[in-house]
Amino acid sequence: MALPVYAAGDDGSFPAAEEVGGEVFPAGLQPGDEFPMDVQLFDLEGKELTLGDIASGKPTLLTFFISAAPASVAELSNIEKFAAGKDLNIVFANSDSVGTALLGGPEAQIPETVRTVNIIKAEEKLDTPMYVAPNNVFTPEGLSNRLGFRGLPTSYLIDAEGKVVRTFVGQRDWMDGDLELISAAQQGN
Amino acid sequence: MINRRNYLRGSLAAGAGLVMGGGVAGKALSAVHDATGEGTYELFKKFKGNVLLLPGKYSGTVSALDLSVPETLAWYNYGRAGVDLPIPHHIAAMPSADPYKGFDFYQTMQPPGAPYVNENSPEWRDRGDFKMYKMRYDGSGTQNSISVVNDISATTGMALGVHVSIGVGPNAEKYVAFADGQKDMVLITTIDDDPKIVKAFRADYDPNARELTIQHIFPDASTGRFDYEGRKGMKTSHEAMLGEELMPADPTAVFVDAWTWHPKLPLGAILIRRHGCCVIVNTETWEPLALLSTAKGAPDHFELVRQQGTSWTYSIPSVLTPLHEAGFITSGEFFLACNNVLQNNIAVYRSEDPDPMKWKKEAFVEGFGDKYLPLHMGNVPDSRWVFFTIWARKPNNGFICKVDPKTWKVVAQWDTGPDPHTCDCTTDGKYITTVYSGNQSGQSGLVVIDADTDEIVARLPSPAGHHDHVVVPESWEGLKASRSTSV
Repeated sequence: MALPVYAAGDDGSFPAAEEVGGEVFPAGLQPGDEFPMDVQLFDLEGKELTLGDIASGKPTLLTFFISAAPASVAELSNIEKFAAGKDLNIVFANSDSVGTALLGGPEAQIPETVRTVNIIKAEEKLDTPMYVAPNNVFTPEGLSNRLGFRGLPTSYLIDAEGKVVRTFVGQRDWMDGDLELISAAQQGN
Repeated sequence: MINRRNYLRGSLAAGAGLVMGGGVAGKALSAVHDATGEGTYELFKKFKGNVLLLPGKYSGTVSALDLSVPETLAWYNYGRAGVDLPIPHHIAAMPSADPYKGFDFYQTMQPPGAPYVNENSPEWRDRGDFKMYKMRYDGSGTQNSISVVNDISATTGMALGVHVSIGVGPNAEKYVAFADGQKDMVLITTIDDDPKIVKAFRADYDPNARELTIQHIFPDASTGRFDYEGRKGMKTSHEAMLGEELMPADPTAVFVDAWTWHPKLPLGAILIRRHGCCVIVNTETWEPLALLSTAKGAPDHFELVRQQGTSWTYSIPSVLTPLHEAGFITSGEFFLACNNVLQNNIAVYRSEDPDPMKWKKEAFVEGFGDKYLPLHMGNVPDSRWVFFTIWARKPNNGFICKVDPKTWKVVAQWDTGPDPHTCDCTTDGKYITTVYSGNQSGQSGLVVIDADTDEIVARLPSPAGHHDHVVVPESWEGLKASRSTSV
């Protein structure tokens, strides 16, 4: 897991608690919250796009993973098998950047991470579209601070209106009903 | 004046062609170099008796330095032990009344996936290894040497790569503890040359229940060994860098960092970085007695919600800040915890009561701002000062500071160089030693500071990228101010 890109203007500050959700483990997005479709992604050819380009208007299971955590990578195959045949848009996004201190520094960060995700996709024999989702924990706008996730994999089930239906943290035994697009709260209404 | 090298030169000139007797050769090549008459003699002679161990995180070596000359007495590259791209990480030395003759020490090693120097792309996944070695310096013969006594990771079947600390007080001459934040495990073994497993712990977080479980783990009954060598049991591919406590990780990860020993009571502390807490353990029963919550604004302890056999589960409703190191001052009067990232302060618990549930936060050392993180802690034998490494990201250097334990105020600080790491003290407690590694490629070396006048009295270059170092203590009592009570 690399430190965020050290760029001109970065004065080396660390964030205050109130800038990152109040504590180390913020509550994060809740069912019913609108999922931001402007999340920056890079595809496996290094082309930049947004989540909206691939998920807008589509019921989606968006799984953030991290290449540095073996359990996080292992869960991708489980999700892919469980979601097979379901009428869902499945997206895997690596919310991490590999270290590049010996590989040319910050300029190499996105290309090297794209290369890493390509290797993971091949090694794990995954068919699901995979992306790189850059993250910077030292800014409130950094992806994991903005969405409030800390443990990966974290999967968001998002409906066609772009609202969070459910959030799944960590490895799990996926069960029938997990990917129902109507939340438990809505079912109770 | 005939110094060692002059003596050797003279011997060779006078006795060319002769076979030197063992006694003569032993004297000529003995461990202690006589620097009398050399230009730097007056500057360094005050450090007589202090041998420093310097693990080179980015050179793959460990070296023993006679600070009073100064010269390297011996060095060892862990590649000789069969490790590809060794990363010697943390170190602790056993006491020795004459470190020039010999002493034992412990060295941990981790894989090179720490991204702030290397990288974690797939090509590096299999390089390096987790290791704990018992090592021996021998200065008694004709060739000073450092050698492996025991590959403790192979002996026990558990390989951990971060802090190592040796028992003191009620645990002196018994135990050594190892910890690792990639596996979230702690191992306690005996200190003999063929170490025995005493106890092991594993910590896990349940992010959905917001609970932390600490449990005993046991070796396989048939082999007597664990199955956690190499990368087995690893939750993440590299040790979290400072600030990475906020990064996404394996949801169960808590980043166990170290075990530190109480100098007077049968207690030890398991330091848990990501959740800003410390498990205080009874070292007679190895049962957790309390989970300190060290952040400012947090309760003094997190609540135990259930115990099932050898598993203890605590509720952690909120984590206001991570911490890094935490330990006891030499007297045992206080337990100090370096909160950092979201809160940069040092929590002060009074720690004299045998029941850690009665320990309360009494003060905080504050004023570090949002760029400077309390990291490592260094003691002196009489507890008149406490020293801390205050680390910073680029473009800031970080610094070393001296804290008065009567007021808990910073009374001196030094910008010793970029990327400062651990502090230790000379055996007489007069001088502080500290290393800096230049963010693994720039300015780097060892600095010696007069603990009372605050003068930097020596600076020695080193290209090895030191993340740690230790002065060989002269006694078990002296070990209390070394890698034992604090890290």
